[in-house]
Amino acid sequence: MAHARISARLPPDIDPTKAPIAFGERALPKLQEELQAPALLTRQRALMALCDLVHDPENVYQAVTLGFLDNLKYLLLDEDSTVRQKTTEVLCIMATHNVGRDGFIKNGVIPALSQLLNDPVDICRRNMHRAFEMMAELPTGAVGIVESNLISSLVLKLKTELDEIQELILDTLSGCLRVEAFEALATGAVPILKEKLTHPSVAIRSKAARALLGISVPQEGKNIVWDEEVIPVLVGLLEDSDPEVRANAAGALMNATITTQGKYAALTADAIPPLLKLVDDETSKVRLNVIKALTMLSEAPEGRKTLLNHVGLFRERLNDSSDAVSRAAKIAIQVIEWKP
Amino acid sequence: MLPARSQEAAAAGGTYSYCSRPRALPARRRYRGAPAPKEEPVRYGNLMYDRRVVRGNTYALHVLPWTAQPDPLEIQRQREAHRKALARKRAKEQLQSRTPEPVEGRKHVDVQTELYLEELGDRIIEVDVECQTDAFLDRPPTPLFIPAKTGRDVATQIEEGELFDFDIEVKPMLEVLIGKIIEQALLEVMEEEELANLRAHQYAYEELRNAELAEVQRLEEQERRHREEKERRKNQQAQLLQKQKETSEKIAARAFAQRYLADLIPSVFSSLRDSGYFYDPVERGMCYFFLT
Repeated sequence: MAHARISARLPPDIDPTKAPIAFGERALPKLQEELQAPALLTRQRALMALCDLVHDPENVYQAVTLGFLDNLKYLLLDEDSTVRQKTTEVLCIMATHNVGRDGFIKNGVIPALSQLLNDPVDICRRNMHRAFEMMAELPTGAVGIVESNLISSLVLKLKTELDEIQELILDTLSGCLRVEAFEALATGAVPILKEKLTHPSVAIRSKAARALLGISVPQEGKNIVWDEEVIPVLVGLLEDSDPEVRANAAGALMNATITTQGKYAALTADAIPPLLKLVDDETSKVRLNVIKALTMLSEAPEGRKTLLNHVGLFRERLNDSSDAVSRAAKIAIQVIEWKP
Repeated sequence: MLPARSQEAAAAGGTYSYCSRPRALPARRRYRGAPAPKEEPVRYGNLMYDRRVVRGNTYALHVLPWTAQPDPLEIQRQREAHRKALARKRAKEQLQSRTPEPVEGRKHVDVQTELYLEELGDRIIEVDVECQTDAFLDRPPTPLFIPAKTGRDVATQIEEGELFDFDIEVKPMLEVLIGKIIEQALLEVMEEEELANLRAHQYAYEELRNAELAEVQRLEEQERRHREEKERRKNQQAQLLQKQKETSEKIAARAFAQRYLADLIPSVFSSLRDSGYFYDPVERGMCYFFLT
């Protein structure tokens, strides 16, 4: 068969691992045919070329319309690890585009991806989790993940996976918890997250605190958080060096202390002094969450008593640069000075 | 015929003497009775019937068959004698003292030492020339047959710069290549930037959302608490009222009952007495005893 190449020796700067891309409109259809080829080398080369093309959103759109996602779903179960790696990478890049994410939901890629949860190759799992994380940012995507019953498996994976992948799982969970938290609570996510709060890695601590924030939004979450005595740990994290960790811990406290029992647990854990210290923190997120947490605590009479002495701090915050913080400060003052 | 011929042969001299000179043989008379022609005797004969022609094997032949037939024994003796003479001669030569062997580097040559030199005319200058093919030499391969060139030779040479100008031609190609590379790079960078922007947005939004959500929940909780508190107080109050009411009713009932019942006992007693329920047992006993 005649080849387009003239000589057996390739030109020096061509990447021999990539399939040559056809011109214009034919690029993606030809790659699609090559993806179905029985020869392993052809598939690998087509995948490498596809990885490059998928950075362009127009190509993503065309790929989704051509039905690439079915081919990629089939290739996810290939025996060769390079093929799986590259397929997950392609899916991950496609998930960064909105068109791709919509396509994922329509073609049910999430259940197919979840088959790789126990893949032996690290890179495949990492790309798969990255794709999930991107999907969880989108509300419909998060719904998709929840509907595929992935939350329980993800929570259980938290115990066993590598650190890098744990970060991605925690992000995914934060996204999904906005949609629905019951399944995560049923799988016992709170004890696991409590463990992660004391992890040596900063990123994991901050993400775990963020996940706890999300989990303590519904009532059951708050009760379980109080049950598992996470509140003292969160109070400890308020003195962490990383602002992200402090902000997320304050936020989790804010949500957990909405219930009366949460309030008293925080008060017994002596939360007010560290929180007061953080009212003047540099990061606006920290200040916001801290003021809100203090507002919660001041609903309880003991808290109110203590905070009445520190109303001055809140008054300073009334003219804060961030709107949200000044509003929060106003509300805090209102609550503290409320008389029954 | 023989003697005449031999005479002639001897007279001829020369190196060779014929026994009978070769002549054409006369034709044989055909008929016996026919007289011989008187003209010159044509002495022709038939080769086939000539007694001088040798017939039969020629390789086992006697050396001189036309001389007197010598005794074969005689011949043998002659040969032996010849051989012995040769042998004697050889032996004699060897025994004879010859001139000493030539010294190394010299050679003995026969030289005329007489007064008058003779030209050795009968010595033929001989030159030995040998020719011998080399053993085992194969036939050399035939040389390539390159026929002579016919036709005209024409050459052409492309000088630098005649075909195309590289710098000009390469521009559009380079532009496309570099364009593609930069496009891809830009796409990837933009993608990352976009993602970073999205994340920043999301971060800010999440912050606000969490705060607002907490606020909402707090207010909800507050509402709930206040409501519950109110409910409780109301309940308490209601209960209190209820209790009060009950107590007052009890008191009223008690008072009423007391009053009502205050009169009861004397009237009861009086009616009972009137009905005769209070009797003197002795009197009753007496009456009963006496009546029955």
